[in-house]
Amino acid sequence: MKNDQTDLALSEGSTLTADYKAPGGKLVRVMIIEDSGIIRRAQITGDFFLLPEESLTRLEQVLTGTKITEAALKKVVHDFFAETRAQSLGVSQEDFVKAVISAREPD
Amino acid sequence: MPETWRLVDVEFRDDPFMNLAIEEAIPRTVGFGKVPNTVRFWHNSNTIVLGCFQSASLEVNLEACKELGTDVVRRFTGGGAVYHDSGNLNYAISLKRGHPLIPTDDLQLAFQRLSEGTVQGLRALGVNAEFQPINDIQVNGLKVSGAAGSIRWDAIFHHGCILVGSDLSILAKVLNVAQVKLADKHVASVRKRVTTIRDELGRDVSTGEVKNSIAKGIEIAYNVRLQNGELSGEELALARELYDEKYSRPEWNLGR
Repeated sequence: MKNDQTDLALSEGSTLTADYKAPGGKLVRVMIIEDSGIIRRAQITGDFFLLPEESLTRLEQVLTGTKITEAALKKVVHDFFAETRAQSLGVSQEDFVKAVISAREPD
Repeated sequence: MPETWRLVDVEFRDDPFMNLAIEEAIPRTVGFGKVPNTVRFWHNSNTIVLGCFQSASLEVNLEACKELGTDVVRRFTGGGAVYHDSGNLNYAISLKRGHPLIPTDDLQLAFQRLSEGTVQGLRALGVNAEFQPINDIQVNGLKVSGAAGSIRWDAIFHHGCILVGSDLSILAKVLNVAQVKLADKHVASVRKRVTTIRDELGRDVSTGEVKNSIAKGIEIAYNVRLQNGELSGEELALARELYDEKYSRPEWNLGR
């Protein structure tokens, strides 16, 4: 079975993960490949709602190449919602930012 | 004169992949205006249904699934993983977009409205059911039903599962629950956060009895009349196509 996470782990850079719980209880699970403070690849999974559903892939794409700072992430996530007019439930724009910021090297 | 909605009982108990293909075929066809607004009731046996954004390897204990013969299938809506067996009743509501009952600019309110029929149906059975944001129905503080939904294909879609008499010990074995998810719930396991209608009523209750009560609850809550119907040929053909290209494929079910 092909496994995305194995692919991620084999990419260059270090793997950072986070299990971030949004207010209300929904979980945002982040796995990113980071190199020199820049996101090289991002995968977001979880039990939240985001409409249209396909837009999550777009969010992962726009996060790629972004510097891991609150200001840079805020702008990218805000622009993503403005551009796609995506609607979310159980997770806010701020939660996506906080989830990525909270990613650390796995134990 | 109340609006008439179609009621379908189409299910493939031993083919969860086909069940989920039908689940997508109905709202697509409703949105297209080819069939009336529809309520579907159905069952799966021994299956985990993942939310569309979830990671199969993180959420599911695949080894336990293998051992217990539990299938894993991904749905097209968000939300969390649920366990289905023959003691679990699934319902789905597909409405043409623009239906006056359901706002499309407030997802939380839409979830609540679309849960009202189920809440009323459960209350009529004698359990103290309440909608619990974001997408749950609780009885005495314990989850008995979870829902998910979407607005797409020119349709409003909502579905949920109700633990009528499910085997909660299997549920706890096949689903991994993230520690962070349980952290502020003051309980150690998923087993203690959920309940069944059977346990709450203190008697044996069939999914058929619950279905009839929820159908009635839907009629009252939305002032509609449910009329028994079948899937159209077009819906079945679409379901078979979705089965072949999506729901029978590990790339879809386990890919993320």
